Amino acid sequence: MVVVGVYDTPMVNNAEEILPKYWYNIIPDLPKPLPPPRDPLGAEFSRIDLLRTILPKEVLRQQLTIERYIKIPEEVRERYLAIGRPTPLLRARRLEEYLGTPAKIYFKYEGATPTGSHKINTALPQAYFAREEGIEHVVTETGAGQWGTATALSATMYGMKSTVFMVKVSYEQKPMRKSIMQLYGGEVYPSPTDLTEFGKKVRKENPNHPGSLGIAMSEAIEYALDHHLKYLVGSVLDVVILHQSVIGQETIAQLDELGEEPDVLIGCVGGGSNFGGFSFPFIGNGRGKKYIAVASAEIPKFSTGEYKYDFPDSAGLLPLVKMITMGNSYVPPPIYAGGLRYHGAAPSLSLLMKEGIVGWREYNENQIFEAAQMFMRTQGIVPAPESSHAIRAVIEEALEAKRANRKEVIVFNLSGHGLLDLPNYDSMMKRVTSNEQR
Amino acid sequence: MLVVYMTLGYPDNERYLEFMEEAVKNGADILEIGIPPKYAKYDGPVIRKSYEKVAGKFDLWSFLPETRKVIGGTKAIALTYLEDWVQELDDFLCKLKRAGLDGVLFPDLLIDFVDDYQTYSTRVREKGLNNVIFTAPSVPDKMILQVSRQSDLFLYYGVRPTTGIPLPITVSSLVTRVRNLVDNKLVVGFGLSDENDLRKALKAGADGAAIGTAFIQAIDNGGVKQAIDLVIKLRSVLDEF
Ligand SMILES: Cc1ncc(COP(=O)(O)O)c(C=O)c1O
Repeated sequence: MVVVGVYDTPMVNNAEEILPKYWYNIIPDLPKPLPPPRDPLGAEFSRIDLLRTILPKEVLRQQLTIERYIKIPEEVRERYLAIGRPTPLLRARRLEEYLGTPAKIYFKYEGATPTGSHKINTALPQAYFAREEGIEHVVTETGAGQWGTATALSATMYGMKSTVFMVKVSYEQKPMRKSIMQLYGGEVYPSPTDLTEFGKKVRKENPNHPGSLGIAMSEAIEYALDHHLKYLVGSVLDVVILHQSVIGQETIAQLDELGEEPDVLIGCVGGGSNFGGFSFPFIGNGRGKKYIAVASAEIPKFSTGEYKYDFPDSAGLLPLVKMITMGNSYVPPPIYAGGLRYHGAAPSLSLLMKEGIVGWREYNENQIFEAAQMFMRTQGIVPAPESSHAIRAVIEEALEAKRANRKEVIVFNLSGHGLLDLPNYDSMMKRVTSNEQR
Repeated sequence: MLVVYMTLGYPDNERYLEFMEEAVKNGADILEIGIPPKYAKYDGPVIRKSYEKVAGKFDLWSFLPETRKVIGGTKAIALTYLEDWVQELDDFLCKLKRAGLDGVLFPDLLIDFVDDYQTYSTRVREKGLNNVIFTAPSVPDKMILQVSRQSDLFLYYGVRPTTGIPLPITVSSLVTRVRNLVDNKLVVGFGLSDENDLRKALKAGADGAAIGTAFIQAIDNGGVKQAIDLVIKLRSVLDEF
């Protein structure tokens, strides 16, 4: 077959078969018990009890009823199909040629969904469950805006209002994300705000606080509690990775159709949801040989974080979970434009990393900028800065295969496109050029 | 199998002993005695408050043996966190044995001490005590299978991450998932005071239930009598199966 265009689309016409009927939970297949969420010592209130007020009931039920496979409600499956699932599995043939590697490189393109990232995979079912419970208004936080966008669209699809607390630096640097959320029907505030006690406290200590995902999370939860609304959760918790497992399961089916057996699986890590959703179905089913989680060297949670019980949010409204963390009061460097700013990594992923099953890399802004550019110029897609971390690891892995003359199959998750992150790339370009001139 | 939990000395020494004695008479198969820990990691507000209430009200090693006198030959196991005793474990186990207990259940054994759980298990047995192993849905299937064969008396399966909080779960799915993996008696606990939940667990194949928070609440609301009425009611539910 003659290959035309910038990428191959190996599969288009059997969507119904490729889209899984079940979500996959890796917990029953982990090498060791996953330490459970818990209340802090001497707690004056129970965070675990508070979850019942914060989360839609069915979301909490799925978080706690741990089974290997959980049926995807037919209504949610239909929505998945409607937004273009299964997403394409593409071969990055031009990148392979450019690198001169004997390795084959495939990527699962989650940027193909309407909101431009994988985040919609969990926003949809959470919104669906909330709506089924009669909830009319949901709240969440967002960093770069991908999760806020997914929430705003999903809420609107199910006839609900949404309120999004967006980390202030991103709010200022990425006005287009705010526009999309508003166009979808969401209400967006730059966090820290004066709408919550926690936000006020942070602003009192530092009126110019740039915000962080942990702070925005606490504000969203507090706001939901104050206004009797429900909170949708974008990453870290097991239920989110459960929903994201559509990514990995589709990838397995798509690779099977091609007769490919993957060797290396690579993804970027903010809270760990796209990485888990992509890689856990492989890990749990013994497919693949090497798994690489990629974070940012500017937010070096893998190299400097500790594996311990910590709060997912800054105010400590959620239960303690055991994870690799830089501490829940961590504030990322504000000039850094590469995303992946969350202070921790999902408990299940943290455990797999501690057990040596998942390896890790960290790359700095220059390295991911270079990788993004190489990918744009060979494959044509503008990757999200988050996903460019994965691309950097893919390039290094492919070059390693070239040195060793290994014909391996590398598959990575391109978690989102970067068409709304162009200001990030602009600022990276400026910093990279000025570094070069020095 | 009805496993009845009570915090040692709750609400006071006298009523605690009365409850234990009556619980046995009214159908408790096994008693679980909560020894107040420094950090009740997997306990909800009710049991945590019960620990606070009894703290400092008795001398552990002189009061604990009192239980044996009122419960006759019924099996009694201590429930406490390994974290608190790990430095002086052999001494602790010897004292438990001397106090007339039949075994011990450490809820944090498989979570915080997973790499050495077999060593600890052996040490418990060497002191002549039963080692009841605590598992939960967050324990992988392979490990549930493995430890179910090593647990004495029964295997404990806590279906919620914490005691006493009615978190939404599907009990039947959780029990069904592990039933075939458990090569032992399967006793389900954590927030199972609701009769419907209990029936679902038994229907899905559980061999028994461990109940605690509900007895403490019953004592708080209507004294030992109300708590014993609950023992009778739960016994009758179990007897349907
Ligand atoms: C495109 C994209 N990829 C990755 C991430 C990282 O999050 P997670 O690790 O939860 O997938 C984000 C987070 O906002 C994102 O927008």
